[in-house]
Amino acid sequence: MTIRFGEWTIGLNGDGAPDRELIGGKAWSVARMQALSLNVPSAVVITTQACAAFTAGQATPAGLDEEIAAGVAWLEERTGRRFGAGPRPLLVSVRSGAPVSMPGMMDTVLNLGINDETEAALAEECGDPLFARNTHRRFLDLYAHIVLKADSPVPGNGGDPAKWREAIRATTGIEVPHEPKAQLHGAVRAVFESWNSRRARRYRQHHDIPDDLGTAVTIQAMVFGNLDARSGTGVLFSRNPLTGAPAPYGEYLPRAQGEDVVSGKFTPKPLSALAHELPAAHASLLAAAQTLERAGRDVQDIEFTIERGQLFFLQSRAANLSPHAAARIAVDFVREGLVDEDAALRRITPDQVRILLAPHISPSALHSAHALASGEGASPGVGIGALVRDSDEAERRAQAGEAVILARPTTSPDDLHGMIASRAVVTELGGSTSHAAVVGRALGLPCVVGCGKGALEGLAGRTVTVDGRTGKVYDGALAIESSDESDHESLATLSAWAASRSPLRVLPPSAPEAQDAVDLTGNVAAADPTTIGEALKLIKGARGARGGAIASDEGVRGALAAGLEFIVADPVLPPLLAALRSQDATAPPSVVTERI
Amino acid sequence: MTVSETHLVMHGLAIKKHATPEAVAGIVGLDVEDVRAALGKLVEAKRVVEAHGKYLLAPAARMALDADYSCLYEDVRAHPDFAAGYEAFERLNGGLKRLITEWQTIDVRGEGVPNDHSNKAYDDRIIDRLGDLHERAEGALDRLACVLPRFSIYREKLGMALEKAEDGAIEWVSDARIESYHTLWFELHEDLLRLMRREREE
Repeated sequence: MTIRFGEWTIGLNGDGAPDRELIGGKAWSVARMQALSLNVPSAVVITTQACAAFTAGQATPAGLDEEIAAGVAWLEERTGRRFGAGPRPLLVSVRSGAPVSMPGMMDTVLNLGINDETEAALAEECGDPLFARNTHRRFLDLYAHIVLKADSPVPGNGGDPAKWREAIRATTGIEVPHEPKAQLHGAVRAVFESWNSRRARRYRQHHDIPDDLGTAVTIQAMVFGNLDARSGTGVLFSRNPLTGAPAPYGEYLPRAQGEDVVSGKFTPKPLSALAHELPAAHASLLAAAQTLERAGRDVQDIEFTIERGQLFFLQSRAANLSPHAAARIAVDFVREGLVDEDAALRRITPDQVRILLAPHISPSALHSAHALASGEGASPGVGIGALVRDSDEAERRAQAGEAVILARPTTSPDDLHGMIASRAVVTELGGSTSHAAVVGRALGLPCVVGCGKGALEGLAGRTVTVDGRTGKVYDGALAIESSDESDHESLATLSAWAASRSPLRVLPPSAPEAQDAVDLTGNVAAADPTTIGEALKLIKGARGARGGAIASDEGVRGALAAGLEFIVADPVLPPLLAALRSQDATAPPSVVTERI
Repeated sequence: MTVSETHLVMHGLAIKKHATPEAVAGIVGLDVEDVRAALGKLVEAKRVVEAHGKYLLAPAARMALDADYSCLYEDVRAHPDFAAGYEAFERLNGGLKRLITEWQTIDVRGEGVPNDHSNKAYDDRIIDRLGDLHERAEGALDRLACVLPRFSIYREKLGMALEKAEDGAIEWVSDARIESYHTLWFELHEDLLRLMRREREE
C-alpha cells in the first residue's frame, strides 16, 4: 500500500494507485507510470481533501504542516538528499493537480528548496557554480511569477540572488522566504488559493463541477541531468511525429538539465549517442516507449533525465502529430491491433486531410522556377497574383476582379482590408509572430514574412507565386497541382473504411451517378458554409447535390439533415469524415491528450 | 487633459481603420450618434472618406492626427503611471504574441503545423494561459486608465473576448474579423504606440 503520513498526505511508492479524486491528475500520472514499472522521481501528494478543508476553514488544516514535514523526510530518505542543507541538497517541484484538469490552477514551481546555502552545496556537488546560480535564479523567477503573481522582476541576466530578491520585494512588497520549509508552505498555500481563482470558479460553474472537490498538491524530488558524464536529459517520441514512421525518434543532451534542451542553445545528439554511452538506459528507454504507447494507445512524447546512470521518466503525453503522420499512424495502429477502424477514423479530422491534399506547386514547375525573394514560411498555402505594395490599392484591384498579392515592409491593422482582399501576403521584416504571420494564419491566407529589408522593392506589378509553406516568392504564375486520396496509401485505406460506415455517400465528380446531383453552383446561400443548411432545406426531390459549399463540414451536416443520399466532392475523404463525425456527435476528441 | 470629440473620432478611426460609426464609438467610448455627427462633418471637410457605410481617414487627416499626438498627449507621456503601464504592456506583448503563434501553429518536432483545433486539450491549455496573461494585463490597464479613463474600455472588451473563448467560442481568441482578444490587443497596442509616438517593431 501507499504510505500515509496522516490524514492529508500520501507517499507514492508504486504500490497501487490511490483514487484520482483524492490525489489529482498529476500524482495519478506519476502512480500510473510507477504501475507500468517505470522509474519516476519520488513524490508525495497532499490530497484534495486537504484543499477542501483549507477552503472551508480559510486556514491550513490542523496537522498538515507536520505531515508535510514527514513527507519531506520520506523524500530525503528515498533520494539520499537533504531538504535545505548540503552536501547533497534536495530540491523539489510543486504542482497543482485537480481530479479533472481545469484552467486557473497554479502552475509548476521548480527548484524549490534552494537558497544561498544549498546553492553553494549544489555548485560543489555538480562542479558547476553557474548552473547552481541559474537554478537559484529560475526558482526566484518562478516563485515571483507563479506564487506572488508578479511580472518578471528578475532580469534574464546579470545580478545576484540578493539583488533578485530585492527586485521581487520592490515589485510585490513580499519577501521570498530563505527557509525552504517556508518556501514550500507558501507554494502549497498558493495552490490551495488557486482553487478559488476567477478562471477556476468560472470553469467549474460552466461544467457543473462541485466547488468542494479541491485540488491536490504534488511535491516531487528534482533530478539532475548534469551531475557527471553518466547524466543527461532528453526527449523521445515513440514514433516519428513528422512522417509517422514506426521507429522511435529522440534527442539526448549529455550533462544537461531539461531547460537546456528546450532553450535551443545546445545541439542535442541523436538517441544513438545514448545507445553508445549508456546502453542499459537506452534499452530501458526504448522498452518504456513501447509500454507507454500501448498503455496510452497513442504516440507518446516522453521526457526523461538520467542522473548518474539512473533513468527517470518525468512525463509522457500524446504527441502532437503532423497531418501526414496522423494519417499513417491511424492506419498502422489498426494493423497492429492497438485500436479498431472506428477509433482510427475518429483520430483524423476532415481539416487534417484537407491540409494534406491542399494544392501545391507542381514539382516540375518548381524545378525551373526563379525565386524573387525568400523569407520564413508563416502560413501554408499557395497564392498567385500581381504583386501590390499598398493595401488600399490591393483592395481596389481585388474588387475589380484581379488576383493580387500584398507585399509590405511590415503589416499593421492599417493593412487588414488589403490582406483580406489578397491571395497571399509577403513582408520584408518580422518573424513567425509578426502581425502579418498572425493575421495571415487567422485568415487562412498564405504568408511569407521576413524576406529582408528592401527585398520586395521593384517587384510591384509582377505576377508572382507565393508558397507560404517554404517561404519562397517565385516569378510568374507556376503550375499548381493537387493530389488525391489515391496518392497516399494511408488515405486510400481510411477512405475505404470511412465509405463503408458513412451515413452519406460521397462520390467523385467522375462517377456516372454524379450527373444526377442538383448543381448548387451559382446559388448564393449554398456558397456560404453558414447558410448552406438553409439552402438545402429548400431543395425538393433531389437525391444528391454538388457545388457550392457542399463539401464543407457544414455542407455535409446540411445534406444529412435534408435527407440526401449522396454528395459529389473532390477529395471525398474530408466529407466522409465529416459525415461520420456528424453521425457520432458524441465522439471523443480525435487526439487523446491525457498524460499517463 | 481634454481632447475634442473630433480628435477622438479620428483617433478611433485610425485604430479601427475601415470602420462603422458603431465600431469607432465602441473603442473610444463615445455615443454612436455623436460619432455619426462628427463623421458627417469630417466627410464634408474631406478629412474622412465614406464607402459602403464604413469610414476611412483621408491622407491629410492622418498627418493632422500625427501632429495632434505630439502636442495633445505630452503630459500623458510624462505621467509615471502611464509610462509604467505602457512598459508593463510591452513586456506582456511578447508573451501574447508567442501565445497566439502557439494557438495557430502546433510545434511538431520543430516544424510548425497549422492548429486545426481538433485537440481540445491543447486549445484549453492555451486559453488558460491567455487567462493568466489577461490577469497580469489588467494591472497594466488599470494604471493606464488612472491617467486616461478610456483605457478601461480595453480591459472590459478584452475580458469579454476572453470569457467567450473560455466558454468554447474559440474564434474569440484570434479571429481578425471580429473584436477577438488578439484584434483588441493589437488595437490597444496601436493606440498606445500612437500616444507614445513609438514605432511598431515588426
